Amino acid sequence: MQPKTNPPPQREPLSLRQRLILALLTPLIVILASSSIFDYQLAKKTANRAHDQALADNVFDLESHIKRQNPSPTLDLTEEAEAMLRSNAPDMLYFSVSDSSGKVLAGDTDLPKTHSQKGEQVEFRDGIYQDKAVRIASYRANIRNQEFQIVVLETTEKRQQASSRILTAMVIPNLAVILATMLAVIFGVRQGLLPLREVEHDIAVRSANDLHEIELSGTPSEIRPMLHRLNELFALVRESVEVQQRFIADAAHQLRTPLAGLQTQLDLATSEGAFSNNVERLQLIEESTARIGHLLTQLLTYARAETSNAIKANFEPVQLNLLAENSASIFLDAALAKNIDLGFEISPATTLGFPWMLQEALSNLIDNAIRYTPPGGIITVRSSSADKQACIEVEDSGPGIPDEHLKHVFERFYRIPGSPGHGCGLGLAIVSEIVQLHGARIDLEKSPQSGLRIRISFQALA
Amino acid sequence: MRILIVEDDNLVAQGLKQGLQQLGYTVDVARSAEEAEAFAVGEDFDITLVDIGLPKADGLHFIRQLRARGNRLPALILTARDSMDDTIKGLDAGADDYMTKPYRLPEVAARIRALIRRSNAVVDACLHHDGIRMDTRSHTATLNGEPLDLTNREWAILEMLLMASPAVVSKDKLVQGLAGWDKDITPNAIEVHVSRLRQKLTTGTIIIRTVRGIGYRVDAAQN
Repeated sequence: MQPKTNPPPQREPLSLRQRLILALLTPLIVILASSSIFDYQLAKKTANRAHDQALADNVFDLESHIKRQNPSPTLDLTEEAEAMLRSNAPDMLYFSVSDSSGKVLAGDTDLPKTHSQKGEQVEFRDGIYQDKAVRIASYRANIRNQEFQIVVLETTEKRQQASSRILTAMVIPNLAVILATMLAVIFGVRQGLLPLREVEHDIAVRSANDLHEIELSGTPSEIRPMLHRLNELFALVRESVEVQQRFIADAAHQLRTPLAGLQTQLDLATSEGAFSNNVERLQLIEESTARIGHLLTQLLTYARAETSNAIKANFEPVQLNLLAENSASIFLDAALAKNIDLGFEISPATTLGFPWMLQEALSNLIDNAIRYTPPGGIITVRSSSADKQACIEVEDSGPGIPDEHLKHVFERFYRIPGSPGHGCGLGLAIVSEIVQLHGARIDLEKSPQSGLRIRISFQALA
Repeated sequence: MRILIVEDDNLVAQGLKQGLQQLGYTVDVARSAEEAEAFAVGEDFDITLVDIGLPKADGLHFIRQLRARGNRLPALILTARDSMDDTIKGLDAGADDYMTKPYRLPEVAARIRALIRRSNAVVDACLHHDGIRMDTRSHTATLNGEPLDLTNREWAILEMLLMASPAVVSKDKLVQGLAGWDKDITPNAIEVHVSRLRQKLTTGTIIIRTVRGIGYRVDAAQN
């Protein structure tokens, strides 16, 4: 057996928003960060230069203590002067003055070796003394042809304090600038992509049957070509759906006339006694003919409900109570033929919709109830309104729908296996189509007589 | 009684013709709206059955022409189209009733009787229905030839039920219809009147059936 190989995980492509944010924020943050580093270095250099200048002053101070006397100049440094020189809080200051032979005339004897170039300049460098980072200033003084090496060094406490002050003074505002930039970019990108989101919303809230064009005016020119293509696609789909539905409607329509002829001939043959010695056969033929007729009607209705350019703008007020009242005349004979008590509990209920579709939906529910309720049963049709809802309800004393079939009953041509009667399985699919189109809700539950109760709830028209 | 069938499908036309002839009607068949117009101008009919889908001009056109000439011939549309929109179009064109294919002959016959009944009620001011005769001019009624004594309210209720048959008449409609006699009549009072009416009709062949929660319908009594 071959081990199952998992396909390499597909990385989700970056969204437009992510791309924009990434492309804008990366360079912005790099620029801001490098400019901060540059500024920091510059500020630190300036601060260092000032400290170096102070260190150089110490060097010249020491030089001034060399007595210019003949033949050999000497260093004359009093204890007070040395103490003053060394007082350099918070840093420690060390120094040495040595002659050309390297002999230390004053100060610390263990300072790092230094050989300054001859010149007027004081030289600066960094070094380590007694395991501490120090700044070293060295100077070669030439007094009456005698050379003196002056070295002054100090620990870097002051300089570090200055650096950290500079750092805090610069980093906080810079961080704030970076943060503000990020927010501005994210907000800006979001604002910029808002039209896309609006278009997306427009498409997302559509019902599956809503194939009308997206309004192009007011959309940004960048996405207009795409929307235009989308509209063309909508039109194509719309057309093909219409062609298909028209075909079904035409086919059903064309079949009805010959069926009417067949039915009439059958009625004639019956009345002439053609089946008088085989009543069972007559019944079977009549049942088949009735089934074909029913199926054709349902197909037509389904095709019409699916295609109709059902835009809510074309809705009109529909009194559900009147639809229920109409149903009495339509279904009374069918109910009487099965000895079913068809009754009504009607109170005013008005919603917005297509009257013929709502009548069709209600008719399908009542037709189903009559089909599946055994002789002697009870069917009650109700209309009511409460809590901003207008409801229509059909309750029967039939066998009900077993739970395992509940989720399938709205599918086209689905029939519960073994169910009696001659339904074609389109009735509830039609109802469901119409309910969806009207943004209504349909609930199926067990009726008190353990039959079925189907309720359609619409938004009431106040 | 003479019927004009306007239908281009031979099978349907012949079936209807034979079926209606068996019921005692005289039947003529026109295959197109043009042929039907020629019939309607030259001859007198009691009712016309019209298919909408005809070869050239459609059935609605024929009915419109009829009404435009002031001809009040009752028209029953028999068509393969169905839906409320088409129904409304048909009734707007001037048709009196509407049936979709396929239909059963007994149903068609019942609708024809109802239409002729209503038409006669307008033309002769006389309503006939299964042994009941109501003369609205002299305000006298008979049941199987015997005088039928009705109060004003009973008369109004029976007239509305017979005119509407085979449709169901809601109690609300009856209340509205009786408002002329009695402004504050209640649905309960209607029940009382209907119950008295039933007693007076026991010898006849029709019954007044209660449709639970809605109202009443006139039906043939079953023996």
